[in-house]
Amino acid sequence: MKMIVMFSLKDRLKHIGHLDLMRAMQRALRRSGLPVCYSQGFNPHILLSFAAPLSVGMEGEREVMEVPLSEDVAPDTFTARLNDALPPLVRCLSARQVADDHPAAMAQLGAAQFEITPLESADMLLAAVPGFLAQESIPAMRKSKKGMVPVDLRPLIYNLRVKDGHLEALLALHPSGTCKPDLMMQALSSFAGLPTPAPYDIRRTALLTERFSPLEEA
Amino acid sequence: MDTQKLAAIERLLSRVEKPARYIGGEMNTQVKPRQSDTAAFAFCFPDTYEVAMSHLGMKILYDILNRQPDMLCERVMMPWHDMADHLRREDIPLFSLETRTALYDFDLVGFTLQYEMSFTNILEMLSLGGISLRGSERGQNEPIVIAGGPCAFNPEPLSPFIDCFVIGDAETAIVEVTGLVKQMRLAAAPRADILFALSQIEGCYVPSLYEATYHEDGTLKAFTPIREGVPATVRKRIEMDLDAASFPESIAVPYTEIVHDRIALEIMRGCTRGCRFCQAGMLYRPVRERSPEKLLALAEKLVAATGYEEISLSSLSSGDYGQLAELVRGLMERFAKDRVSVSLPSMRVDSLVKQTLEETRAVKKSGLTLAPEAATQRLRDVINKGVTEADILRSVSDAFQSGWSNVKLYFMIGLPTETDEDLEAFADMARLVTGAYFAVPKEQRAPGLRVTMSAATFVPKPVTPFQWAAQDTLPEIRRKQALLRTALRSVKGVQFNWHEPELSVLEACVARGDRRIGEVIYTAWQKGCRLDGWREHFKFDTWLEAFSACGLDPDFYAARERGRHEVLPWDFIDTGVTRQYLWLERERAMAGTVTPDCRDGCEGCGLRRFDGVCVP
Repeated sequence: MKMIVMFSLKDRLKHIGHLDLMRAMQRALRRSGLPVCYSQGFNPHILLSFAAPLSVGMEGEREVMEVPLSEDVAPDTFTARLNDALPPLVRCLSARQVADDHPAAMAQLGAAQFEITPLESADMLLAAVPGFLAQESIPAMRKSKKGMVPVDLRPLIYNLRVKDGHLEALLALHPSGTCKPDLMMQALSSFAGLPTPAPYDIRRTALLTERFSPLEEA
Repeated sequence: MDTQKLAAIERLLSRVEKPARYIGGEMNTQVKPRQSDTAAFAFCFPDTYEVAMSHLGMKILYDILNRQPDMLCERVMMPWHDMADHLRREDIPLFSLETRTALYDFDLVGFTLQYEMSFTNILEMLSLGGISLRGSERGQNEPIVIAGGPCAFNPEPLSPFIDCFVIGDAETAIVEVTGLVKQMRLAAAPRADILFALSQIEGCYVPSLYEATYHEDGTLKAFTPIREGVPATVRKRIEMDLDAASFPESIAVPYTEIVHDRIALEIMRGCTRGCRFCQAGMLYRPVRERSPEKLLALAEKLVAATGYEEISLSSLSSGDYGQLAELVRGLMERFAKDRVSVSLPSMRVDSLVKQTLEETRAVKKSGLTLAPEAATQRLRDVINKGVTEADILRSVSDAFQSGWSNVKLYFMIGLPTETDEDLEAFADMARLVTGAYFAVPKEQRAPGLRVTMSAATFVPKPVTPFQWAAQDTLPEIRRKQALLRTALRSVKGVQFNWHEPELSVLEACVARGDRRIGEVIYTAWQKGCRLDGWREHFKFDTWLEAFSACGLDPDFYAARERGRHEVLPWDFIDTGVTRQYLWLERERAMAGTVTPDCRDGCEGCGLRRFDGVCVP
């Protein structure tokens, strides 16, 4: 069986990288004494997969990971024991038990929701949103293995709205197309007439399926 | 710190390289409330986070201070150059990881001195931390700045900047010093009174209470206290019973990758081998062991508290630990099911037990590291490295037969009496090792032989039999490195590494420096030197300019043979080992006579003068 785990990561911990979080989670699982599974080979490590790596500098409100277990553990027990072992700024919010052949969370991912707080030129940025979205296409350059490639962001921005002085963005996160929030913010800054992209705080508030239902429930 | 500055720190973190270095909040770190009578201690490590967090001494002292109900300890490390520049530009003081408290807001600021080339970082950290650089300029309310660690055994180069050095084992001393400082600060005692009181604690050296005079040729004439009641000799502190000495039961688990990311279990302190180049071997006498029972109990707690997957047995010479086989077996039995591996660093070649090797490999496979130090028997006898070619051959053969294929060999060049023949013998040593590999039948040995030979430049250190010796000059070191490269070119499958000789020359100047070197360090820092231990930041030419601006000659410090009766800047420190013994060892070195391990009989190094130590 495996656990589909929802967790949050906040505050200073947004500065750690994906591999750092992976290591921290593996060590927390070791401290917890939960019946985790190990890889084969000379340097065995705990099996664990994150649905979508969180970028450095981003807080995560409802992140999703999968943890295969060798024995049955009640979800509440799992959550409590993992929380005892986790650093305070990472919290396990819920766990759901599924069969080993349950489709991987990563494979069901379709979109992610972000809350973005501009730290400079906020008024200009927020005012530019309707015009920005009214564009037929939003050309940008994306880094890929083959170097920089052109991409149209417009169809990948499912929603972008102003809410309480923040931006709330629903962006595609799928093998067939992904809109990274930094690319969108660059495009928005330039559309708003700013000479350089404005700095901002950012939180990923949800991971969603292609049908926009919460990934942790899929 | 005010909220504006705290917000500025947050913004900075998104702009610097590796922000995880500065965030704190790691598992098992401590955030203690600070009351008016709490002694707040900033433990400063003058190198980057990755180096600092790999250091066991910091973990021990952090734990001890935070265990005291009326004390707290937070960590401060040297920021990388990008962060340092941002802090200065935005006028944000260097801060502690735990609570982002400015360095100047602590009662005590303590630096650990692990390496001479970190000394400019101390000035940089004081400067960024808003503390006056020179002890003589510090005001009543500024923190008391202390320092300890191996480089404190020649404290003189840093004497202008440090209020008080703590010499020797610090487990007990640090609590005494911290308690005394806080008590006197609460009573609003004048700074000068606090410093005098510190000078009365055993192991404490307060440089402002001493005076150095020089002969016309620049050598030291006399070194004396300037005030009655200040001890003329400072005796190092020793923790005699390691089982009784405090050792952490939980240690911080960093998020970002560090140099040694594992549990370090100190099994033993000190070494009786008496290698003549080795400063640690003299400084940490006598040998003291922790019991296997104590170590197993500590390991159990540390694994549970950290989730680490590796334990390394730490000491100067782990192979000499009396009950090594029992300890390793005990750890294996206890932890193999939890997939915790055990590694043994700094293994001496002659103490490798084949069985131990196999037990280690049962869980995790890593490389084999040997330190023959010199390639000929003659030179190994000079430095008293009691290892023969047969020992080395046996060690590597055992390792190759047990399925290892990765061997690292460490050497030094520029050792006293070294000739070109000693260097040409590197190639013989290399062939010996590769030959041992190919002597194992192909189906039995692991594929992919990798032999790395590293040659460091010898740096004569205080409190060793070579403390009087001249270091090779730069051109001579370069010539020897070239000679080695040529000699090793003919051996297949061997990689040769060497160190930058400029760094070793500077290290030699500072290691045996006197008070005047403090001005060179200050000038070099003012001219922009910092992070000198990092190749990309090391500015040798700037250091040379600093020497000449101070009217001092690097050769006087590095390349000069000292006379038998010359007063040395560190003579006033009693490490236990006498100057007479060091000179005797120097004479034996020149004669190529070896001195046996003192566990087999007392050699009279002087430590027996200390009560209760060195029980045969």
